[in-house]
Parts: sequence; structure tokens; C-alpha cells
Amino acid sequence: MATTADAFQAHHEDHGHSHADERPSFFARWFMSTNHKDIGTLYLIFAVFAGLIGGAISGIMRAELAAPGIQYLGWWVNFMGGEASINANLHMWNVLITAHGLIMVFFMVMPAMIGGFGNWFVPLMIGAPDMAFPRMNNVSFWLTFVGFLSLLMSLFMPGDPSGALGAGTGWTVYAPLSTDIGSPGPAVDFAIFSLHLAGAGSILGATNFITTIFNMRAPGMTLHKMPLFVWSVLVTAFLLLLALPVLAAAITMLLTDRNFGTSFFEPAGGGDPVLYQHLFWFFGHPEVYIMILPGFGMVSQIVATFSRKPVFGYLGMAYAMVAIGVVGFVVWAHHMYTVGLDVNTKMYFTAATMIIAVPTGVKIFSWIATMWGGSLEFKSPMVWALGFIFLFTVGGVTGVVLANGGIDDALHDTYYVVAHFHYVLSMGAVFAIFAGWYYWYGKMFGRLHSEFLAHLHFWIFFIGVNITFFPMHFLGMNGMPRRIPDYPAAFAFWNNWASVGYMLIAASLIPFVANIIYAHTVGRRAPANYWGEGATTLEWTLSSPPPYHQFETLPVIEDHHDYHNHLPTAPGSGEPARA
Amino acid sequence: MTLNNWGKLAGRWLGAIWLGCVALLLTFAAAGQAVAQAPAAAPTVAAPLAPPADPANVEPLAPEARTPANNEAPQEIVGGDGPLVADTAHQRLGPEWIKGAPTAATDNMGKSLTFQDQYSNTGNYALWMHNWVLLPIIVAISLFVLALLLVVIVRFNRRRNTVPSKTTHNTMIEVVWTVVPALILLLIAIPSIRLLAKQYEAPPEDAVTIKATGYQWYWTYSYMDNGEFEVISNMMPEAEAVAAGFPAQLEVDNRMVVPVNTPIRLQTTAADVIHSFAVPSLWFKLDAIPGRLNEKLLTIREPGIYYGQCSELCGSRHAYMPIAIEALPRDQWERWVLAQGGTVGEVEAAAPAAATVPAATANAASSPEAAAAAAAPAAAGTATAQ
Amino acid sequence: MTANTRTAAKAGLLAVAMLALGFASVPLYRIFCQVTGFGGTTQVATESDAYLAAQFARSSGTRPISIRFDASTARDLPWGFQPVKVTETVQIGERDLAFYTARNDGDRPITGVASFNVSPAQAGQYFHKVQCFCFTEQTLQPGEEVRMPVLFFVDPAILKDKNIADIEQITLSYTFHEALEQPESGAGPAQAAAVSATQTS
Repeated sequence: MATTADAFQAHHEDHGHSHADERPSFFARWFMSTNHKDIGTLYLIFAVFAGLIGGAISGIMRAELAAPGIQYLGWWVNFMGGEASINANLHMWNVLITAHGLIMVFFMVMPAMIGGFGNWFVPLMIGAPDMAFPRMNNVSFWLTFVGFLSLLMSLFMPGDPSGALGAGTGWTVYAPLSTDIGSPGPAVDFAIFSLHLAGAGSILGATNFITTIFNMRAPGMTLHKMPLFVWSVLVTAFLLLLALPVLAAAITMLLTDRNFGTSFFEPAGGGDPVLYQHLFWFFGHPEVYIMILPGFGMVSQIVATFSRKPVFGYLGMAYAMVAIGVVGFVVWAHHMYTVGLDVNTKMYFTAATMIIAVPTGVKIFSWIATMWGGSLEFKSPMVWALGFIFLFTVGGVTGVVLANGGIDDALHDTYYVVAHFHYVLSMGAVFAIFAGWYYWYGKMFGRLHSEFLAHLHFWIFFIGVNITFFPMHFLGMNGMPRRIPDYPAAFAFWNNWASVGYMLIAASLIPFVANIIYAHTVGRRAPANYWGEGATTLEWTLSSPPPYHQFETLPVIEDHHDYHNHLPTAPGSGEPARA
Repeated sequence: MTLNNWGKLAGRWLGAIWLGCVALLLTFAAAGQAVAQAPAAAPTVAAPLAPPADPANVEPLAPEARTPANNEAPQEIVGGDGPLVADTAHQRLGPEWIKGAPTAATDNMGKSLTFQDQYSNTGNYALWMHNWVLLPIIVAISLFVLALLLVVIVRFNRRRNTVPSKTTHNTMIEVVWTVVPALILLLIAIPSIRLLAKQYEAPPEDAVTIKATGYQWYWTYSYMDNGEFEVISNMMPEAEAVAAGFPAQLEVDNRMVVPVNTPIRLQTTAADVIHSFAVPSLWFKLDAIPGRLNEKLLTIREPGIYYGQCSELCGSRHAYMPIAIEALPRDQWERWVLAQGGTVGEVEAAAPAAATVPAATANAASSPEAAAAAAAPAAAGTATAQ
Repeated sequence: MTANTRTAAKAGLLAVAMLALGFASVPLYRIFCQVTGFGGTTQVATESDAYLAAQFARSSGTRPISIRFDASTARDLPWGFQPVKVTETVQIGERDLAFYTARNDGDRPITGVASFNVSPAQAGQYFHKVQCFCFTEQTLQPGEEVRMPVLFFVDPAILKDKNIADIEQITLSYTFHEALEQPESGAGPAQAAAVSATQTS
């Protein structure tokens, strides 16, 4: 990494008694927060709870799929206030997959990575006192929160034509299943509204990040010296800014189709259901990079820290993310290979999709090259990052298989796809989130977690996710479609193993939660830099947790071309950051 | 049915990964065993109540399946030129004819890990591409990355390498790991493009045209060149299917009957929401979208039964709208067509448009409700087929 | 205006532009399909286009091609809707007139609208319709039956497209849906001729 803070430490301010530590009252602090660290904490707490709910939903799903037949859905329908019947039970399944998908995408991964870690560490890493628009930051969080409530409310609204509760459209909300003919009840309206709110929150957040990163870097912190995590958030923010409005437009049109008699996607009025898919995936494909790019950034920081080496090929790493972001916008129709595309279109999207493997490969190999020759220490964040690199590779190569339009004819909408995207998200994004969690836990909350519990969490989770998701490749190749609550008996064996794996995943939450309790009861107070000399970014120059208002005197990033022989520069030189 | 070669193939390539997984699985075998008992108790595909016939020894058409009225020599099934008579007592192919169906791991572990055997022209090429191009490459890449990680972990940990190097650039290696993956992708692109070209071959003019229409939650099959008759296909009630030796949730009351080794112009559309017509053993999947018609060429190589399931979320009973294709020799298929009230030969071009769809149409009224639970419409449908 | 508001305003403009693009994609997609035939969208031609194509076909010589006529109805529309002839063979470049019939089997007047495409999808850009009933709303009284003509030709340029030069049959498909706006019961009888001279799609 080109960035170090050695010079800054020389003039470390005494934060102890300045107004840096003045904190507002409890209500003002947590409900009207304008502090990026508090908002980051809110996002993280929110993501943990949303993740627990989304994970509990997958528990119901895996229980139901453990054996052929319908076993638990009726109980769940009654529990949610509906009336169990064959139709209501089966509809409940669609509600569960919809809720699981939307919660994990919009209310777990995105809030944790961008809202949580992004808010916490982008200002710290670029030496800024806060985000550019602190109040807008607060608005972003509460929009996301209300969006989540809106989604939860949809669970209690009539959805399908028979009046069964909940939106059962899948997270893709394809028309016309999501319009009057498939889902006349208000549940889908609430689900759509939920996406509007969460999307608006994310767009505001993206604007905030872009402004912060462009305008509020400390003196000397050029774009090419920014830590890779900041780069990843910058690229992600642009993806959000460009992709989410398209989703907003698509679901707004869906909403008017449903309620105001328009027919954008209604063939009866000259609309085209396939256009909805184009719009959705024009958003949806960048969305998957939105979920993984910040993970790339975190893994880069962590690998460098625990190898005690700067990142290998820094510029290549940064521009690989830019390339992934750009190419991510021109490959969307690989999600639609079976809609009846003509041969040229399918060949184009096959070729374009496979190109993404090149910058992704650059990243994987650069991480390995960063470790090569390093002095590796297997602390918990590093172990999660190593798990990320391997499992993301496995998920990535099945993506190359799926990229082939001709091969996809057999695999489209099967469990192979489910396995693929859980390898890149449930093991890619989630491993990165846990890596970041353990990397920065002490920095954020001032107490050190137990390394033993963190490692235990890793191993149970690692084994659990592989037992859950690896057999799904077999099921998919053997022909099992996605999104079915019941299946032919031939699929029983591997589904059963997948459900066994789920129990391990659930069990891994015990050390996770225990670790939080441990940290705040017997955990040591975290020193400023508890990872040692490998941790070179600016947040490690501050106390743990950092003062309520940091960098009241802006740090100055030294300007040197030799990355390894730091030449101190005089504090205060260079231009002050514009604020 | 072909031998266990796909399993061996998969075993070879998956070997290393598989060993690792087995080790993990064994660790948790105790936990798994208890739960694994439950599904084993349920009847599985390959454990029909009737004694399972050895596929290799099955006569082209089991003698008992023939009716006295249709008393021909057994070998005539593969190309008889007898008089065309309506096969009014058409006997559905029995479970011994099932060719395209998923394999339970408890029956054949190897086959449960990979694709179903392929019975269409494009399917064979696609399967070859997956097994001999994609799978080796992705396994090799995964193992390569894993090996590099292990080397790094063993050689460059803090105990063995206390002083980290400061290398952050090596233009040569950066070029290599950009160019080599690009070349590998190019290598993949060649068969991939060829496969696409094969899949988009246009059906000949005289291809048998069948239109599959998706409804919530059943399929109808219209034989457009054969008098436009329509077959309504609902899932067979599970108990009935299992009793007859067919896989539950895959067997239907009225199958889509097609001629074998004949190009089929399969067209799909839907009447309500989007469905997807998918048959894994034919490497075939085509969305059925309301308001538009999609088409694709399908040629099935062997007589038999090929199962599939709707593959686009279409509402609550999405899991219960299977597809069953019964491929018959051409002459036998023609007799089946006549029995449905259809026409065979050149006459169909002049078939009056006003002719309402015969036979199965009578059941149309009851079918929307029929899909999942009801046995009555299913019984009515079965009567129509025979 | 501070630097921050400037940057944020630019970002906001970008987001608004993408939102606008999202909505604009509806007409843009329609135009794109109409121009390129994407997704099997048929082309609209004038009489003079048809005349030119026929002249070209006669001067350079073309082969015949089979056209299949497909008819579907949405689930809740109680109409019988069929092509008069399922297939026809036409000379590439020559105009042809085909007929569909639609009959209202329901017990109330119903307005239907049709959507359409051709398959294979690549043939869309070469399938020209001079006259058709495409999106024209058709109101049928109970029991009423109408004949609907389609006047079309296949562009000789299809013979130069290597993707589909050897294609032997093109399917023209219409699906009738119940229109969103339905006639008040007791509305006047529909035009029995039901020939729409202009294409409104």
C-alpha cells in the first residue's frame, strides 16, 4: 500500500479533553446521528439482525427441503397468521425464498459492507473528519431501516390470487407473476416500496461516498495512494449510482402496471415482460458486484496486513475493480439466456461475460502474490480472508461454466445456479464481512474479541457452508430446478446433506455471538494498533475506538515514491483538504 | 441405457475435490445418518413396485403392452410400414422406458453427481464440452489456486519467513496472469460458440411442430401439423405414479408424445405468467412467455420417457407442473396421433381452421384446478390418452 | 456552492439521468426492436416497400419459404382464435395475404388486443407486414366471428444473412389478450369487417 501514516503520528493530537469526545445524549446520538462511526455501527447492528432473520428463513427452507414432501410450511403459515391449505403452504415457500433473497441482498450484505464498514472506515482511511453530508448519511440509514420494515409488513399482506399472505414473486419480481395476474394483493406493492426505500437510501449513500472520497481526502492522499478498500467503495458507489435508478424505474413501472392501469410490461397493453427482465438485470448484474467489491477491498487490506507486505500490484488491483465494474454493466442478459434470445445476442453475452474472469483472476493472483514472500500470521481475519480467496475462486469458476449460453440451457434456474451464487455471496461476500468484522472489531468497539472463538466460528462455518452448498452443484447438474419446496425422491440424498450443513452454519453463530459477549465482558481493551506493523492504514493511528470526532487537524500523507523508505515530511505541508 | 460412464468420468475429474469432501462428510456422518434415514424410507425412482426390468434386456415394446387389434411382430416398432390405424388402445410406455430422469445417490452415487445421460444431438455435444473442456479447466484452476494458497501457508508463515519481502511489482508475472486466463477463455469460447450455433440450427420445413403452452400449473401440447389437437398434461397424483412405478412429481397423466429421430419444432408460449419448458436429459430449456412464441429444434435419438420440470417461478404450484416426453418410433407415434383425432401426412395443411380441438379439450374446463391434488381430472385425462 | 455540493449535484444528476434512462428504455426498447427486429419483432412496410421487394425478388430470383401462422389466446379470454391455414409457402419477396379467424365464445362483448412476434427471432428484421390487425383493438359481440387479414412479405435480404439464410420456415405468432379497457355491456356492434388498414403498433 502506498499509504502510511508515520508522519502523522508525530503530531498526534491529544483528543482526551477536547470536544472530540463530546457525545450527544442517547436519543440524539443513535436516532439523529450525524457521526459516521455511529451510523456505521447502526448499519452493522441492523445487518446482523437482518442477517439473523434471513438466516432463520433459510433454516425453515432447509428444514422443508431435508426430505421430499411438504412438512413444515403449513405450520409456518399458521404461525404467520395465515390459514394453512395446500395453496397457502406452497405460496409460503415462494414468500420465504423472496424474503430470504431480498433480506440478504438489500438488508444484510449491502448495509454491512457499504453502510457499516464503508461508513466506519472510508473517512478514517482517507483522513477525513466525517462523511461529506452527515445528515444525509443518517437519512440513508433510516430509509434502509424503513424499507426493511416495509418488507416485513409485506409478509402479513395478502399476496397471491387466493389471498395467501406475502409476496411470492422471487427477489427478481418478474412480471407478470408480480402483476395482477399472479399477485393481485398488496404484498407485492409493499415489497416494491421496500426496494424503493432501500434503493433511495443506497443512492444517497453512494452520493455521499463519492463526494467524500473525491473531496475530503487528507493532504497528500492522492487517488493512487488510497487504500484499496476505499477504492472498492468508490467503484461500488458508482455502480450503485448507475444501477439502482434503473431498478427504481423498473419497479415504479411495475407499481403503475399493478395499480394505475399502465401496461409497460403487460402484453395485453402492448408491453413486454421480457423488457422487465432486461431492466431488472441491467440493475441486477452490477448489484452482484456491489455486493462483492467492498469484500475485495477488505480482503486486500487484510491480506496485506497479515503478510506484513504492501499489496502486490496496487494499481492493477484498483483498476481491476474498475474494469469489473464497467464490464459488469454490459453482461446482464446472461441471466436471461432462455428467454428466446437470438444467436448473435447470446454469443455476445457469452463472450462479454467470460471476459470478467480476467480482472477477477488478476485480483486472485495478486492476493496470492501479496502473500508470496510475506510473513503470514494466521489471525482470525486472515483465516477468513484465505477462506474467501479459495471459495470465491470455486464460485467464480462455476460462473465461467454458466457464462456459456449453450451450457446454460441445462443449468439455467437449477440448483447449480443456486450453488454458484451462494459460493460467491454466501462464501464470498459473507466471508469478507466476517473477515472485516474480526479485523476491525477492536477498532470499532474498543474491546478485543477472542481469537479462539473467531477461529472456531470460521471452521464450523467453513465446513457448514461447503456441506450445504457443494452438493447443490450435483443437484443442479442432475436437473433439480430452483425455487421448489418439494422435489422428486431422487434429489433427496443431497438435499438432506445440504440441510445437515445448514445446522452447522446455524451452530457457527454460537461462537459468533459468544465472541461479542466475550469481547464486552472479559475482552481486553484494544490498543490503537493491535495487529502490529502490517496494519499501515490511517485508522490504526487512532485510538480504539477512535475519538468521537477524529482528524480535527488533518493528517498529512507523505509524498514518497519509494514505498519502503519512508521519508518524513513536515506536518501541515500540502494543501488542506477541502470540506 | 448407457453404462455408468458419466459417473466414472465425473469421478475422475472430481476425484481430488471429492476425497476432501468425503473426509468432511465422514466427520459429520453421525449427525447425517439420523436424518438421512427419513427419505430412504420413501419409494425412490428406481425402486418401482413392479419388478424393475433390466433396461438392456427390454424388448423394444413389451409384448403384453400390445393389443390383439394391433398384433404385429415385435421388431416392427423400429420402423414398420403396416397400415396406419388409429392406435386406440395406445399403451403408455412403462417405467422400464424411463431414460431421462434424475438419479438418486442411493442408487448410483456416480450418476447422482453429474448431468443426466443425454439423448439429443446438441445434448451430447454440450455434455462433451462440459466434461472435457469446462470441468477439467475449472477443477484445474481451483486446485491450482488451492495449491498456491497451501504453498503460501506452509512456506511464508511467520515462523519460517520472519522477514517479509518488499516485492510489490513484477510486470512479467502480471502480464502472464492477465494473458493466460484470457487465452484459456478463448479456448473455452471456441466450443461454446460452436455449441450455440448447433443449438440454433433452424428446424426443417417438415419438422413436426408442437406448441407447448404453460398454464398455472399445467402444460398443454398442441400438435399444429397434425390436425391441431391438444393434449392437456397435469402432474399425475403422487400415489398413483408411485404405484405404477413412475417417479412421483415427474410423471404426468398425458405425456407429450413425439416421434423419435425426427426433427421437432418445439414452440413455447404461456397463457398467464412466465413458465419454462425444461428437459435436462435433452439439454433443452426454453421459456414460455405470455404474448410471444419461442421456438427451438429438438431431435430425440432414442425411444423412451424423458422427464423435466417447469423451470421458471410461476406461482404456488410451480413445483408441480412436470414435463414428460414420450418418444416413440414414427409409425407408432402416427397411430397415437390418429387415436387423438389428429391427422397424419400432407392433409394437415388443408385442415380447416374452424375444426375445434378434439379429444382432450373436453377436459380443459376442469384442468386449472386439477394440477396438484385432484385425482378426478387426472383420471379423466388418462382416459383420453388411451 | 461548495465543492461538496457540486460533486453531490453531479452525482445526483447522474442518478437522475439513469432514472430517466430507465423510463426512456420503454420507448427506446420498442424502437430498438422495431428497427433491428430484436426478439422477433416484425418490420412495418409500406406498399411501395413491398413493391420494391417484389421487383427485386423477380429480377434476381429467390427461393420459396414456408410461413407458419400461430394463434394463441391468454388464459381468461374466451375467444376461439385460429389461422385459416396453418402453413403457406410463399416466394421470398412476394406479398402474401393470410387470414386468421377470431370468434367470441363468451357471453359478453369483449375487446381483445393482440401481441405478436416471429420465430426464429433472427427472422424478425426480414418479416415485413404491410397491413395487419396487430394492436388494433377488436371488440367482438358474443358469438361473433371475424376474419383478420395479414398482408406481409419476406425481405429478400434474408438470403444474405448467414445466420438464417438456410431457414425453411418462419412462424408468425399472434396472441390475443383481453384489453385493459373493455366495452360497456350493450355497446354497439363491432365492425364486422375488422380489417384495420393502418398499423398502430
